[in-house]
Amino acid sequence: MFLLEHDAKTLLALHGVPVPHGVLIESADADISGLPPGPWVAKAQVAAGGRGKAGLIRAANTGSELRSHLRDLLGATHKGLTVRACRIETRVTGVEEAYLSLMLDPVAAGVRMLISAQGGVEIESLAKSAGAVRSATMAPELPDVAAQAAQLAAGYAPHIAGALNRAARELAKIFLEEELSLLEINPLFVRPDGGWVAGDARIVTDDDALFRQPRLRALLASRASAYPETQRKQEHGCDYVVVDPDGEIGLLTTGAGLSMMLIDELRAARLKPYNFLDVRTGGLRGDATRLVNVLNWIAEGKRVRVLLVNIFAGITDLGEFARLLTEAFARVPQLKVPVIARLVGTNFEAAREFLASRDIPVVTDLGVAIALVRGHL
Amino acid sequence: MSFPRIDRATRVIIQGITGRAGRMHARLMRGYGTNIVAGVSPRSDVADVDGVPVFAACRDAVAQTGATASVLLVGAQQLLDAIGDAVQAGIRLIVTPTEGMPVHDALRARRLTQEAGVMWIGASTPGLAVPGQAKLGFLPEASLTPGPLGLMSKSGTLSYESGYRLAQRGVGTSVWVGVGGDPVKGTRFAELVPFFAADAQTEALLIIGEIGGTDEEEFAAALAGHHFGKPVFALIAGRSSPEGVMMGHAGALVHGSYGGYAAKQAALEQAGATVFGSLDEMTDTIAAWHAARASTV
Repeated sequence: MFLLEHDAKTLLALHGVPVPHGVLIESADADISGLPPGPWVAKAQVAAGGRGKAGLIRAANTGSELRSHLRDLLGATHKGLTVRACRIETRVTGVEEAYLSLMLDPVAAGVRMLISAQGGVEIESLAKSAGAVRSATMAPELPDVAAQAAQLAAGYAPHIAGALNRAARELAKIFLEEELSLLEINPLFVRPDGGWVAGDARIVTDDDALFRQPRLRALLASRASAYPETQRKQEHGCDYVVVDPDGEIGLLTTGAGLSMMLIDELRAARLKPYNFLDVRTGGLRGDATRLVNVLNWIAEGKRVRVLLVNIFAGITDLGEFARLLTEAFARVPQLKVPVIARLVGTNFEAAREFLASRDIPVVTDLGVAIALVRGHL
Repeated sequence: MSFPRIDRATRVIIQGITGRAGRMHARLMRGYGTNIVAGVSPRSDVADVDGVPVFAACRDAVAQTGATASVLLVGAQQLLDAIGDAVQAGIRLIVTPTEGMPVHDALRARRLTQEAGVMWIGASTPGLAVPGQAKLGFLPEASLTPGPLGLMSKSGTLSYESGYRLAQRGVGTSVWVGVGGDPVKGTRFAELVPFFAADAQTEALLIIGEIGGTDEEEFAAALAGHHFGKPVFALIAGRSSPEGVMMGHAGALVHGSYGGYAAKQAALEQAGATVFGSLDEMTDTIAAWHAARASTV
């Protein structure tokens, strides 16, 4: 999962990395008497890039300025995501801005490090000027990373090279220990004495390694409401994302690729899907519980007016699936919308008869199913 | 024969054959014609599964049967070790359908298989197939018809849907490889370009990608580098997905400009590929290509 900046910095601080003092504020009326010393910077917490350009990072010198920023930022949307919290930090002054990131290199099967003596701007645009960003890929072992860091930073001003060198060692240890996919510090503040502070932090963690990462598990547990998708996957074994809170079409689908494609096609047809779902029919194993959970979540969509079931079953017995689905509908009576089912796979006829007896039309052509959905909007 | 062009003679073992998935897919693969010669399981009380001999050690299974390919149906947390066992035993083609392999494990498995010169397909792959010959993994028979179209896909279900629609229009596949939806994988789209360029039975190539990662961009660069002379078609899922959210596959994550749809579409089109906006458009265009080809053959 892509950690919000506040949580990324919390994780770094747990490892002893210097970060600016900061607190998380989730309401414009919150008590701000416990803030770190000002002046401050108010940073909207949203899991997407381009916050600075979008005006979501703002400086404040007084308490009233800060309140005004909080009122503007909380509830704002950025790239379709809603800002639910702001991190208020002490502004760091008298520093230079450098850049350091570590990421997986899926081609070379190693860790890729990027460093630059200039940070603070978008790395993509910085990378266009020759030599401004230096990079190397190395084996995923600490000594390899440390050796490369020293080589890469050679030639920078001594305080910058020293800071990047030390930062690289500390951050690489965290990257490997926590099994991260991305750890990017931009800007990496460098003090005249060579001390460094993580000005911002972007971290992508590996949900599949959580079982052996107690720090990340604890962090996730304490911030569950900020990461509903990961939380759901850990608890329920399926992927569910609300893609449009005003969506009108609930989707009960299996397979990540096909579900994404269906959303793309519905939107291209100017229809409004509510959710993404990979229910993983292969994991139901005769138990309707997962389907009940999913239908309960979809029932939370205030504007959902129809449910489209789309299952292309490679292995799953559709008759069995239809039986579980019917049981699930009976257990979620508050979901009162019409249902259209599009099924392909083994035992189709049994599924069709089963669902027809409950007035659910079953078709095999996705285009026909979408036309039927349209009839209910 | 060069991998991934498997056939009825390819000797295949299943690591984890005594588990629920192992037993079921051993049966389904054999039903399709795959030559399953042995299984591996730590369970000492099982001598065979439906007549397939079960060995405790991978090296014994390989030594006694001459197997060259293995399908690993073990848990995500055991995958790295099981891949190591297969490599040490001399297996040359490893297919791992299991979802949820930790990404740092995948990094190590990729180093391990590359150093040994072993082809690893996965993790999180629906498998690979040569229709009419054999399949390794879960690919549904309804989608598998022999024909001239090479197919590579990150997603299982979207490729099932695509293969099924194409099969219904009379378009079959030559070699079908599900590379899987994980960010770090054993075999990437670009790495199969030389194979599909050389494969005589492949006359065109369809890739089914999705947002996240740079696999599609690397593939586009490889096409240009290999002077790939066959038509290339592409379908990319996730055009309208939100940034910063994982869409089911661990690899399907857009952050900043990294992994976005627009860059993939642009790179593919620049390399001469036809990128489709919908499944219908894909089916119609490829069926038209197939019909035109048939009339000139």
